Amino acid sequence: MIGILNIGLGNVQSVYNAIYENGYDPVFVNEPAALTELSHFILPGVGNFNAVMQRLEQLAFVNAIENLIASGTPTLGICLGMQLLATSGVEGGQSNGLNAINGKVAAITPQKGLRVPHVGWNEVNFCQAHPVFEDIKSGRDFYFVHGYHMICQHSDNVIASTDYGDNLTCVIANKNVVGVQFHPEKSQKNGMQLLENFCEWDGLS
Amino acid sequence: MQKCTACNLPETYETIEFDENGVCNICRQKVFKDESIDWKKRAEMLARVVEKHRGKYEYDCIIPFSGGKDSTYTLWYLVKHFNIRPLVVQFNHGFMRDTLLENNRRTFKKLGVDVVSFTPNWKLVKRLMLEALVRKGDFCWHCHTGIFAYPMHVALKYQVPLIFWGEPSSEYTAYYNYEDNEVEQVDETRFNRFINLGITAEDMYTMIKDDYQCDPRELIPYTYPKLRDLKKLKYQSVCLGSYIPWDVKSNTKTIEDELGWRGDQVEGMPWEEYSYEKIECSMQGMRDYIKYLKRGYSRVSQMTALDLRNGRIAKEHADKLIADYEGRKPPSLALFLEYLGISEDQFNHIVAKTVVPPFKPDFEGMEYASKTSDFDRWYREDPQDRGIIAKNSL
Repeated sequence: MIGILNIGLGNVQSVYNAIYENGYDPVFVNEPAALTELSHFILPGVGNFNAVMQRLEQLAFVNAIENLIASGTPTLGICLGMQLLATSGVEGGQSNGLNAINGKVAAITPQKGLRVPHVGWNEVNFCQAHPVFEDIKSGRDFYFVHGYHMICQHSDNVIASTDYGDNLTCVIANKNVVGVQFHPEKSQKNGMQLLENFCEWDGLS
Repeated sequence: MQKCTACNLPETYETIEFDENGVCNICRQKVFKDESIDWKKRAEMLARVVEKHRGKYEYDCIIPFSGGKDSTYTLWYLVKHFNIRPLVVQFNHGFMRDTLLENNRRTFKKLGVDVVSFTPNWKLVKRLMLEALVRKGDFCWHCHTGIFAYPMHVALKYQVPLIFWGEPSSEYTAYYNYEDNEVEQVDETRFNRFINLGITAEDMYTMIKDDYQCDPRELIPYTYPKLRDLKKLKYQSVCLGSYIPWDVKSNTKTIEDELGWRGDQVEGMPWEEYSYEKIECSMQGMRDYIKYLKRGYSRVSQMTALDLRNGRIAKEHADKLIADYEGRKPPSLALFLEYLGISEDQFNHIVAKTVVPPFKPDFEGMEYASKTSDFDRWYREDPQDRGIIAKNSL
């Protein structure tokens, strides 16, 4: 069963719809006990790092998600959901993340008159292959909305980056975990392909 | 009009672009097809696609089939080379010709395959032809949407996920460019890109319902199935020509030798040179005539362009064929006008609105093309049935 985290913060319906259109029957997950039923887990991405982490703590989700990831369940973080996979973040105040991928989340430094947040379509350039991106060519456009970005400790966790003045890391992976800074559910054909690949992925990279 | 210096196609041709030497993108992608696509790898991909689906469903695959050279070759190739068990699906547009039907009968018997054939309501077909003609100057909406949507419904009904089409569109246009080096997916994106003229079946229903007695369910064969249903089926809808290099002339020779397939006379075409192209439909001459009126070229240009690209015809001979055959009025015009219940003046008036600049058609003084040998057997509407039967007259 494919589960989408829904803790009452932000819009999760568009992720649900994209998975559903791909032929799957996802469920919303609003209590930690439901995680054990899942074959695949998606952390969707709207909100504020600190506020969402606090909420996850209150609902006793943090340990449960860490256990789920440790058990090898394929897990996809989208936008803020990707950032939560990091060791720590600063949005809304310094806070710890889920620490599934060694790195920190920092504000985007504005470059050459480019506006922050980074909003719109931008090219995703791969530096290494990953099963979740099978049949998706490097340089294809995906839809971004973000003011913070991931800085990985180890370059082997970086799968792809996008050029927004600086090269911003936009796809990260570690074992059964993959995170994307852009919104595949808003990225048309290539986004649908990515979500389908994820739903078919066994978590072995 | 600017024309490609290599293949003669004019600037009114869909998706065409010219480089600094005046050579078009269709010619360039053909070079890429010949020189840069790894056809050995593609052949291995084909084998994987077939084996992935073999023996798992009631049929190994669906093969949409008109009986023209491309679908006949596709069926022959997959049965002969892969011993595949296909369900052949035929969408009958209502204008199938005698030679085609004889070819089909012979092909089905020689290959030993199961076939389902579907023919939609003729009265609705006429109304759809008129609406698409008026809106887009292209009356073939009913056929093109039906051909590409209906077999997908059959795939869902039989729960057969693999659908094999024949010729990839990159052979003729650059909607899907060989240079992208991808397998063309025959899906809803492609359907909306250049099959349905930007008119979905749902759109079409709202366009005709006020004057034509129509149950919305009648439009289902022209409606692309829901993506979710196709995805649930794990469908794979691809062209054989994405896996083996497509060569119309040698494919035709193969099906003539192996299946006794025969070509036919097509209105407005040089019958000696091009007996194998578009023999499926008695309204083909009308389609090509409208194309000429709108864009200043017709199928002779398209066929000679293909031969020029393949180095199979001299430029002078191509020019002569185009000069001798293009821009003729097909005898089937009379039948077409009877079907739709419009006069030739009305027809010209409708088509004039859809002309593609810089071409300017001359509707007057056009000579007739020769009648084909089966012309007198083509369907003629009885006087009382001519035209569209409007809602209020039922």
